[in-house]
Amino acid sequence: MPVVVTGLGAVVPHGDQPDALFDALLRGDSALAPIFPELPKPAVAATVAFDESRWFTKLQLAGVDRVSQLAVAAADLAMRDAGAIGDVEPERLGVFAGCGMGGAAALEAAYRGGGRVPPLTIPAFMPNAPAAHVALRHRVQGPVLTYSVACASSAVAIAEAAKAVQRGEVDVAIAGGSEALIVPGVVLAWQAMQTLATVRPGEEASAVRPFSTDRSGFALGEGAAFLILESAERARARKARVYARLAGWGMSCDATHLTKPDAPGQARAMAQAVRQAGLLPRDVGYCNAHGTATRIGDPVESEALALLWGEGLGGLRVSSTKALHGHLLGAAGALEALITVLALHRRELPPNAHCTEIDPACRLNLVGARGEAAPALEAALSNSFAFGGTNSVLVFARD
Amino acid sequence: MSSIQELQELIHEKYGIEPSALDPQASMREKGLDSLALVEFIFAIEDRFGITMPDDDPNIDTLAELAAVVDRVRAAQTT
Repeated sequence: MPVVVTGLGAVVPHGDQPDALFDALLRGDSALAPIFPELPKPAVAATVAFDESRWFTKLQLAGVDRVSQLAVAAADLAMRDAGAIGDVEPERLGVFAGCGMGGAAALEAAYRGGGRVPPLTIPAFMPNAPAAHVALRHRVQGPVLTYSVACASSAVAIAEAAKAVQRGEVDVAIAGGSEALIVPGVVLAWQAMQTLATVRPGEEASAVRPFSTDRSGFALGEGAAFLILESAERARARKARVYARLAGWGMSCDATHLTKPDAPGQARAMAQAVRQAGLLPRDVGYCNAHGTATRIGDPVESEALALLWGEGLGGLRVSSTKALHGHLLGAAGALEALITVLALHRRELPPNAHCTEIDPACRLNLVGARGEAAPALEAALSNSFAFGGTNSVLVFARD
Repeated sequence: MSSIQELQELIHEKYGIEPSALDPQASMREKGLDSLALVEFIFAIEDRFGITMPDDDPNIDTLAELAAVVDRVRAAQTT
């Protein structure tokens, strides 16, 4: 039973309108900007200008962390975008949400409160709070599940949602993820991990340069994105607009190292996803890369793509949009899936921004800095690779 | 002196609920101040008045009942 995407919702650094967000990417607009000048080392991040009063009364905000607020807003926008979803029994509706950390702001406030700990810190912080709040908002009484798989969290959530739709366990799935951990303590922890891009004064917006010889890492981003998934049959019956078909998914674990990526592990997930879609690698025209712009990550992903595409690698267009929207960690897979779906739907490719000179160790056919039209694009793939070794790959096809 | 008016002001400030919309004798839960919101509100009361409220009293349902507890705690602190 084919699974299709009928709704898109995002509350991300480039705003909350999917088409406007895609246009911003095509223009190469970077959402990265300096944050927390009080920190000893300069930092940049892509933050969301969010007006919570559009979704919550002040009373409803009691014990609701930003990570859940963003999730509720993005899921709500996705449901509205899907139009009248028809008669769905509450128990035939599911939420599948990725989240890497949970309510970072709530936890930070507890640490910094000088002993006065807000009483709702636990329900605000728990990583399954975003999914639970989405369920409360839409009276979802079927499976309401949270997947915490670091940077692959929401790509895993979308794959699991697709399985539930395919098996007929739910009629409609709200699938995606949220992350909001741009608070000083967490930024310091990421800086200590030595994976964040070096920030040169005046070059904050272009600090992240995937696949470029002068790349130095990623920048944190925050936000939430959700897709509405349902069976093609159901979508047809209710005459829904179909953005794309979620044609295949693949998951694997490197099981080689906790944080160091592994090309064969990544290639296994990609091969599985392409095979499940009933395609050959050459049928896939675009890859939204994981592309974190770390010294080690980009060549490994390039090698993984080369393992699967072989001589045909030049025919695959590749870009990492993290250069512009930052790394949304647990929400990255959802945002990048949404971008990949729009790339297919609009037949346009978002750019691989800020790559001044491609690293010879990353021999990829990168999309140019202004984006490109792709009139023949039929299928596209989105990669998400996590600390912990889990790889999740989604393949979308035009319906 | 009853703390009702000060509590109404705090509710207005924190949750945007007008004093006229919250009858001191009516159930706060029915106005959306459920058990979780109430726990948070009691925390705010402690901050505002510099007092320590007794452990959760499940019998507190109206603003008047809550104000009575606040009055008692404040009176005990000033004696």
